[in-house]
Amino acid sequence: MLFAPADLTDAELELQREVREFLAEELPRGTFDPGLGMGAPRDRAFSARLAGRGWLGMALPTRYGGHDRSAVDRFVVTEELLRWGAPVGHHWVADRQTGPIINRFGSEEQKQRFLPPICRGELSFAIGMSEPEAGSDLAAVRTRATPVDGGWVVNGTKVWTSGAHASDWFVVLCRTGDSTEDRHAGLSQLIVDLASDGLTITPIPFLSGHRDFNEVALEDVFVPHELVLGAVGGGWAQNTSELAHERGGPERWLSTYLVLEELVRSRPGLFDGERARLALGDAVARLWGMRRMSLSVARMIDAGEAPSVQSALVKEMATRFEQDLLERIQELIALEPLGEGDSLFERLLFEAVLSAPSFTVRGGTNEILRSVAAKGLGSL
Amino acid sequence: MSDWLLVDGARRLLADTCTHEVVQAAESDGWSAVAWEAIAGAGYGSLAELPVSDALAVLAVAGEYAAPVPLADGLLAGWLLGEPVAAPVAVAPANDLRLLDGRLSGRALRVPWGHAVEHVLAVVDGTAVLVGVASAAGVERQVNLAGEPRDSLLFEEAEPEVVHPAACDLLERGALTRVALISGALTGMARLTVAYAAERRQFGRPIAAFQAVQRHLVDITQDASLVAAAADGAARLPGLFEIAAAKVLASSAAVSATRAAHQVHGAMGMTQEYRLHHFTRRLWAWRHEYGDERHWASQLGGAVAAAGAQRLYPAVTSGSQVV
Repeated sequence: MLFAPADLTDAELELQREVREFLAEELPRGTFDPGLGMGAPRDRAFSARLAGRGWLGMALPTRYGGHDRSAVDRFVVTEELLRWGAPVGHHWVADRQTGPIINRFGSEEQKQRFLPPICRGELSFAIGMSEPEAGSDLAAVRTRATPVDGGWVVNGTKVWTSGAHASDWFVVLCRTGDSTEDRHAGLSQLIVDLASDGLTITPIPFLSGHRDFNEVALEDVFVPHELVLGAVGGGWAQNTSELAHERGGPERWLSTYLVLEELVRSRPGLFDGERARLALGDAVARLWGMRRMSLSVARMIDAGEAPSVQSALVKEMATRFEQDLLERIQELIALEPLGEGDSLFERLLFEAVLSAPSFTVRGGTNEILRSVAAKGLGSL
Repeated sequence: MSDWLLVDGARRLLADTCTHEVVQAAESDGWSAVAWEAIAGAGYGSLAELPVSDALAVLAVAGEYAAPVPLADGLLAGWLLGEPVAAPVAVAPANDLRLLDGRLSGRALRVPWGHAVEHVLAVVDGTAVLVGVASAAGVERQVNLAGEPRDSLLFEEAEPEVVHPAACDLLERGALTRVALISGALTGMARLTVAYAAERRQFGRPIAAFQAVQRHLVDITQDASLVAAAADGAARLPGLFEIAAAKVLASSAAVSATRAAHQVHGAMGMTQEYRLHHFTRRLWAWRHEYGDERHWASQLGGAVAAAGAQRLYPAVTSGSQVV
């Protein structure tokens, strides 16, 4: 069996209840503009309040400000935040992946320096993987770090870097060694201050008009030795491990959930009709089933396993569902949404339609995920 | 969690018993005494004595090996009567029966292996009625898409052996058994298809090396995994929400996964000599039995819409505890 059965324990259900209470008090419905999943806005103060409850850096060690809790506990908190449309943007990347990889590969000094402020919801990170010539084929990165006295000098261009303009740091995948036959050799990860000299951030406006996407040009940016993450030359394996944190979680099936909830809230009469019931029933069944698979992935992580195949299977299927759900909703209501529409439903639908193509691209395209999964099927 | 020893025992037994030849012969003969005696003899004939999750786990194994025996019906009959029933027994998913002065008249429809079992159980106006097949006035033999008997039994003032208020809902619990069978069959079909794609060579390579074929393998695996997760959820908490959601997913996957599996197998999959059709034809039949994906999606959609937006996500996490 690929996905071991998984349910929440009483303690995990209690945590779920606490998060629901917190959100109902902090962000009552109707008092804030909810976002769509992990695309929700940044709110440093909200992130700090979450940290105050111990809900950031949950699975990180207590000696670095974390809480020694499980991947499933983090799953429970994240799921509730996303389905509520809470503003998770400020801490999202740091909490999901940068914190865990620094904890896993970082030096003692790096852990002491970065993990406590991540757990307090202070530091915000971006992801420095993609380049103009290296999208799905990450081993093709050309950004190069050259050794100099005391560290490295970095030159190159990163693109499609979400949130770089508003973040403090990013982790850069770059070439530190010569190209050999093994394309995965000679790559390293550097922790780079986004306020560094020689670093230029230029917005790449999203098709929706959002200005969260950026190009980050690095021109002779100095990075001291102590900010090399993990082993020089070990970047590929580390980066692959980092990507595993990006896959299979609740953010992969919840991006359009709020559109559905707002449809139910704002047009209850619609569901007197058979077509609407069918669409709602099918969507709820899929949410319920995929959630169980995703929870199983979190359990495997807690058991020390590396469920990369399972994560790829979940992400590939769930992101297609996110898109399908929007189509089913639009078939039901026959409404072209307007950007400044009257209702929250219409505004969310507008936003969702314009961002939907990215769901099956970000964090690994579905084509790459199918390839990862198919290679694993033979060995399972 | 289900009893591992029990399920593992069932797996070894059914793998040994339900060979390609036995399943083929069961179809042409309309009954497999060989399979039934081996399975019942090993103590797996009457699953209603087991806890629900164990019984469903064994049923999934039956689906995984296309076992041509009425295990699901024995379980369902036991649930409906509130106590285990002597096997082999079949349950009529539909009937136009009437119970007048303690006598049963009319037809039990689409009865699995109706001509071969000893008893049939039907639900008449909320009452579970167990009657001997020997007391039927007539048997009309039919087969479903899988070539399994789905017979009509005619009764004319027959005397039932047991009459008892139905202890559960026929459609819900019937769907629950089909979810387990479908889940198992998808697992078996996924394994067969992945193995076939690794062995079959064209253009000098295993066809599993082609991305277009890999896509099918991934689709099948996702379907099988999703339904396994759903079957587990419904076995743990068999409420209306869970059963409806699981049958929606199982019946939908029965359509999409069989299409992909046939595409991978090409012409080989269209032959009787190759095992694929033991899975795909059963999946097509079980998809419809006890409500197809549209029936249950409508039920589920109506229930969650009535509960309202506030409880929509709690329903996704906690199912029938909320809705």
